[in-house]
Amino acid sequence: MKPTSLAVEAQQLCRDYVSTKREHLLGKKTMTVIRALDHVDFEIREGELFGLLGPNGAGKTTTVKILCTLLEPTSGHAFVKGYDVVKNAGQVRKIVNMVAGGERMLYYRLTGRENLKYFAELYDVPKREVNARVDRLLELVGLSERADDEVEKYSKGMRQRLQICRGLINDPEVIFLDEPTLGLDVNIAKDIRKFIREKIVAEQGKTVLLTTHYMYEAEEMCERIGFLSKGKLVAVGRPEELKRKMPSGFSIEILVTRLTDEAHEGLKHLKPVKKVITTDYEGETEGEKIDRLIINVDSDKAVPEVLNYMSSRHCRVVSVNLRGPTLEDLFIFYTGEA
Amino acid sequence: MFFRVILAEIRKSLKQYFFSSRTMVWALLLPLGNGLYLYFLYLPFAVKSVNLEFNSANFSLDLVGFTLIGQLLYSFFTMMLLAGSALDVERQQGTLETVLLSPANRLAVLLGGALANALNYIWLLIGILLSWVAFLNVNILINDLLALLASISLSYLSLIAIGMCLEALSLHSRRGGMYGTTLQEPIMFLSGLIFPLQSMPRALLPLSYLLPLTFGLISVRLTLLAGASMVDVAIPLAVLASMAVIFFTLATWMIGHAERSAKAKATLTQF
Repeated sequence: MKPTSLAVEAQQLCRDYVSTKREHLLGKKTMTVIRALDHVDFEIREGELFGLLGPNGAGKTTTVKILCTLLEPTSGHAFVKGYDVVKNAGQVRKIVNMVAGGERMLYYRLTGRENLKYFAELYDVPKREVNARVDRLLELVGLSERADDEVEKYSKGMRQRLQICRGLINDPEVIFLDEPTLGLDVNIAKDIRKFIREKIVAEQGKTVLLTTHYMYEAEEMCERIGFLSKGKLVAVGRPEELKRKMPSGFSIEILVTRLTDEAHEGLKHLKPVKKVITTDYEGETEGEKIDRLIINVDSDKAVPEVLNYMSSRHCRVVSVNLRGPTLEDLFIFYTGEA
Repeated sequence: MFFRVILAEIRKSLKQYFFSSRTMVWALLLPLGNGLYLYFLYLPFAVKSVNLEFNSANFSLDLVGFTLIGQLLYSFFTMMLLAGSALDVERQQGTLETVLLSPANRLAVLLGGALANALNYIWLLIGILLSWVAFLNVNILINDLLALLASISLSYLSLIAIGMCLEALSLHSRRGGMYGTTLQEPIMFLSGLIFPLQSMPRALLPLSYLLPLTFGLISVRLTLLAGASMVDVAIPLAVLASMAVIFFTLATWMIGHAERSAKAKATLTQF
């Protein structure tokens, strides 16, 4: 263990996944190496709610699994409370827990209470404390009345709340939340976000690493964020710090049809335009495909010039929205991905 | 903490995997079918006893008892094969990671899983005994109760240890459960479950003597049906005890190795 005031440290973390394939039964094996994490460095302070953002396949879950000892890094080091996650895995397991989105990680034929008691035994929670702790956690997430029903009879939201109880059963110092609101409806997701922010972080002072691909979730909850893109951590900081690093504080979001490559290219060369990003947009109008452009400009006065240009290139603008940068803009700016 | 984890595993496994009225009914009925199959296999030969040669001695055993004991121990062995796939089932239902995320002793997790199956076997045992002893007249001859108890306990212990090895194997490879099932028939053949070892081709005997089930069948059959003493079954008992120690040690090493390997190769959640 090394002395540290940090809750989590990742140093040059790399993780490769190797897959082998044979063309046919007796054919030669071909090996493909996919780098899921590429020299990732970050730190999380004690009591902080840190968000790791990125699209599917960016490396978020890989990072979480390495930090909670479920996966070994190919190279680099990671520490939780100063304990090396590979060399001191046993110590790390005592002080962390993880909650993942989705409905797995629970025993469906056991009741909610039986599930929690089982995990309390695995974590060696003092016997005299088990019942009180289980009751308190069930109360905390509003499951007391259904505590003695089998989990298979629970709704999706109830299962996710029970998962959060499971994640807190060992009173962990660091908790990893891997897309905790995945697949939940808006109201339940909102309740869970509130619970994490108010109860887990503010009231209990836990350190939380939250991974999500919902930008608004990170914006609403996290003090600092990191953007992961194709295994690389491309930016880390407070959202306002990251916004300041953008060349302009304004973005024009335009939904447009009949956008040609030539018009798109020409747009980039307009004087007030700093960056143009085209993102997928599912939709069409009057049978024409809609493209979504996010145009980073140096002032709000650029709007007429951009619209005039689009009109001169026979593009049909469906909607225009001028706004300050959101986390999504930041993400697109730093990663070039939408 | 070790024993807490074992108990927690037993409670969880019994509730999650076994405890339904349908499972219990089948656990009672299935041994009857298997037992009848073995019994009627012998009927065309119109014999009432089976000769069992062991250690230069020849014992004549009651046919029904011979097949009954074979069935008893083999059913336990299949329960251990079932235990062997416990971690594979955890992997498929998405709970394996939560177990391995905890600091719980891995050997205790394996032992708890195997013991849950062993406890479930008690129900199976009732089914076997009810279906056989109630309807058929078995000639039992016990001269040394201690030898009988030692034979039964050491047979079960060594089989539990094998169950734990198979559990660890299923963590190492997602084909672990398949290996267990594939071994079922050859082990049934090689262990002397259906017919005595002396009827087997000599070339296969070395393989038979690698199996704890072989020695379990010899010692339990002799102590329960032929009145054998501790001295008579000293060799199979010593072999069973050694096998129990070897397989427990192997399971301890295998689970550590399998977990490290799965984390390095990222195969913990693959199924």
